[in-house]
Order: sequence, then C-alpha cells, then structure tokens
Amino acid sequence: MGRIIVITSGKGGVGKTTCSANLGMALAKLNHSVALIDADFGLRNLDLLLGLENRVVYTALEVLAGQCRLEQALVKDKRLHDLVLLPAAQNRNKDAVTPEQMKQLAYALTKKYDFVLIDCPAGIEMGFQNAIAAADEALIVTTPEISAVRDADRVVGLLEAHHVKTINLIVNRIRPAMVQANDMMSVQDVQEILAVPLIGMIPDDEQVIVATNRGEPLVLSDNFSLSGMALLNIAQRIEGKDIDFLDLDAPYDTLFSRLKRFFKR
Amino acid sequence: MDPKRFRAALTSSSPVSNESEPEPESPRVAEVQLHLEAEDGKLLLYLPTPSETRLEWVDLLQEVQKQLESGQRLWPPNTLVELVTGDRLLDHRQLQQIVNALTTVKLHLTRLHTKRRQTAVAAATSGYSIEQQAQILPMAQSTIAQFKLDAEEKDAAPLYLQTTLRSGAEIRHPGTVVIQGDLNPGSSVVADGDILVWGRLRGITHAGASGNAKSQIMALQMEPTQLRIADWVARAPESLPDQFYPEVAYIATDGIQIAPAADFSKNMIQP
Repeated sequence: MGRIIVITSGKGGVGKTTCSANLGMALAKLNHSVALIDADFGLRNLDLLLGLENRVVYTALEVLAGQCRLEQALVKDKRLHDLVLLPAAQNRNKDAVTPEQMKQLAYALTKKYDFVLIDCPAGIEMGFQNAIAAADEALIVTTPEISAVRDADRVVGLLEAHHVKTINLIVNRIRPAMVQANDMMSVQDVQEILAVPLIGMIPDDEQVIVATNRGEPLVLSDNFSLSGMALLNIAQRIEGKDIDFLDLDAPYDTLFSRLKRFFKR
Repeated sequence: MDPKRFRAALTSSSPVSNESEPEPESPRVAEVQLHLEAEDGKLLLYLPTPSETRLEWVDLLQEVQKQLESGQRLWPPNTLVELVTGDRLLDHRQLQQIVNALTTVKLHLTRLHTKRRQTAVAAATSGYSIEQQAQILPMAQSTIAQFKLDAEEKDAAPLYLQTTLRSGAEIRHPGTVVIQGDLNPGSSVVADGDILVWGRLRGITHAGASGNAKSQIMALQMEPTQLRIADWVARAPESLPDQFYPEVAYIATDGIQIAPAADFSKNMIQP
C-alpha cells in the first residue's frame, strides 16, 4: 500500500504546487512510483508546472462520472516513467467532488503507487476538505511571514481534528540574508508557533520561477541550485532517510553581519 | 530577588495598565460549550442544545472530537459514557458520528439522556449492542424521556484541556479553564472563571466573562494579543520583555495589571 500525503498551506501563493511538482519528481527520481493528484478543481496548475498541460485528455471528474477508466485519465510524465498525474477539471469548481470520491480515487491509486501526493488548493473550504479526506500524512508549506504562519497554524488544527496525525513542516522562500539582519522570521520563529516537526527549508530562488515557466521542475535541472538541493533532501527525508539540513546561513554569517546584528540589538 | 528580574517585571506590567480601558460591549458567555464530566467511574458528555450554541452540527462534532482527544489521557480506556443531549434532536447518523468519535478514543456509549422522543427512538433503534438498547428502550417508550440538565443547573466544573489551541480555535466555558499547552495567536478562550495557561499565551483570553472582576488570567509566558477580564480589556506592551516568567493578570483599581506570579502570590493573595 502506498502512502497518501497531502501538501497544504491554508494561504495561497506560498509554493504548494511547486513543492508538489518537485517532490513528486524527486521521489520518482529516487525510484519510487508516484501519483500526483491535483485537487485544485477549477484552478488547476500542477499540469503546467510539470509541463504536461498538452497531454491532459481526461480529468478526475470523468473518472468519477464513469466516462473513462482511472488509468486512462492518468497522464504519464515525459521524463520519468514512474510518475503520473491525475489532473483536476478546469471547467468546474470545488463542489464538483465530495470527500468520499476523493478517498476512492486516492485509495485506488495506493494499490499501484508507492506515493500518492495530493496538491491541496488554498483556503479551508470544500476543496481543502476534499484534499485532506484521504490523507494519512500532511506536509505544511509556509513562508516566513506572519500571515502564512497564522494560516498554517489554523490548517494544522484542522488536520489534527481530521485525524491526520503525521504532519511535517516545510518553510519555503527563506532569505537568509534578511533573517541574519533580523528583518525576516527565522525558521525557529516559525517552528515555535507551529510546533510541528521540520522536514525542510527552501531558500528563495529565482530559478524556481524560471523552472515553473518552462514546466521543468527544478529537481530535474542539471544546473545546481540550492533550492533544488533542498527539495531533493526533503524527498529523501520523506523516504525515511536521515539527511542533515542545509546550512543556509553560512554564506551570510560574516563578521560584518555579526557586528551589524550586535549593534542593532 | 535578583534586581534585574525585578526591573523587567516592572516594565512589563506598567504599559498594560496604561492602555486598559473599559470595554464598550462585553461579550457574554451566552454560549454553553460542550463539556465532559467524570462522575463515579463514568463520563458524562454534555452536548449544548441549539439554543445554547451557534455551532452547526459539523463544527460541534469537530469540537467533540477535539475535546475527546485532548482529554484522552485523563480517563482509562473503555470508560463508559453517558450522553446528555437535553433538547437537542439527534438522528441516527449524528448519533453514529458521536459513537464513532467515542470509539476512536476507546470510550463506549452506554446511555443517552434526552428530552426529545425522536432522539430516544433513534438511539434505541440504532442498536449498538443489546445491553445498551435495553437501557435506552425504556426511555423511548415513555413519552417524555429523560431528564435533568438545564444550562443553569450545570455547575461550572473546571475545564481541563491538554492541547495546543491553534488559530481559529475558540473555547467557551461557564467556569474556570485550565490549558496545558500553548494558546497560539488567533485562538481565544472565554471563561466565566479564571484562565490558567500552562504554556505560552499568545491568543485572546477573556476571564470572568459574565462580569466577575475577581477573575485572573495566568500563564507561564504572557504574550497575549489581548487580555480581557470582566468588562476590561488590555493590550500587551508593544515591546516584548527580554525574558519570560510566569505572570498573573488581574484587575487593580485602574485596570488590568500584570504581575510576576512569584510576587503575586506573596502580595496579592490574602489568607
């Protein structure tokens, strides 16, 4: 049986879909079979990030309506054959499916795939309820901003109420220089509020935007990037490996910045 | 006492009192929170009636699940539970949902107290097990089934919660609330009695919500969004103190004051 992991955040624009796409790719690269479910009905993006938009024929809705088989709707990735995407319908909204139906889909996929990753929409309404219905584990994505952390906190509470017990935290878009200068919340600050185990921190990186626009997830890129590295590490930690966290602060922890911090206090 | 600590204590208490002012309209605890009570080896689970709560069933059920989970440690597994529903109508499905919630924390429903005939019938016909049915059946047959319980009758037993209250969570209780865990920003606790937080207090707390100005708010680490006691409201000082120690908020002559717990018990509590 595969593991069902939902990737969620509460707030929009913090990098749920980017994380889903990259973690899916990274897990597939580590020789696991992975199914990605886009639960963002009406505002689907995951196919774009994976560069699979033009291959989508059927969506989850057609599967549920019995108009096609589940296998027919799964879009196979063009680079890694162990990765498939179950796209969301774009012409409907979140009320088009029920939590029960999402459960059916996810459970059916666990029979064949090691990992079923569900990309959750922003918000805590029906779309969120659908996305978390089947999940046993959750990855909370947040950025070091109070609004994102507040929403993440609410979502953690809701997940706990829905008996999702394994919850891990990804802090995305960190700018170490700003953290050093005390202008941004540090990962410790975020963790102190959320009290959820940290599974990864990803630095802010322009490469992410480039990769998104090309539909080529960062973890597949040949160019080394710190954010790609961080995402690969998260995938390995999901596998259960004990990987050390990247030291994002190292290049910024200079004598000058230390002095500056000292005098700022 | 270490002089540095004492100074920190002074600076943290004065700005609060400056900013406190009478609150224009003080919210009352019109709402009765569902609560659990232990009574000779069994648990009583009180569900508020629709007139006592504005929670929809879905939210109410979620509250039930949350409270059951946070209190799990406090009672032995396989404890028997009696459900007190008063005027609330429960159908088969809702009853089953409650039973499921109880089962996940290893509790068993044995009896249902209700004033509504339909609820009693639903319980009787659901048939969880025969012995339970036997207990419920007589109720179903008597036209006016059980029983006691009016909102006033509920004495305010302290509510003990072992959980972190996250953003969006709200606890209302007609008595004292004890929380072992943090109150995160965006959460709120409204109590008719005192509020004790064995953890960090960062949300909104309202003690003595029905007007008792003698109520206090205590926390290991006091960084509230807002403190309210009876009709008074206070904001925390803008700048956080360098170090934290347990503090008590109470009403002094000129509004809400905060004092270090160590000093408070020495000076303020009369024998």
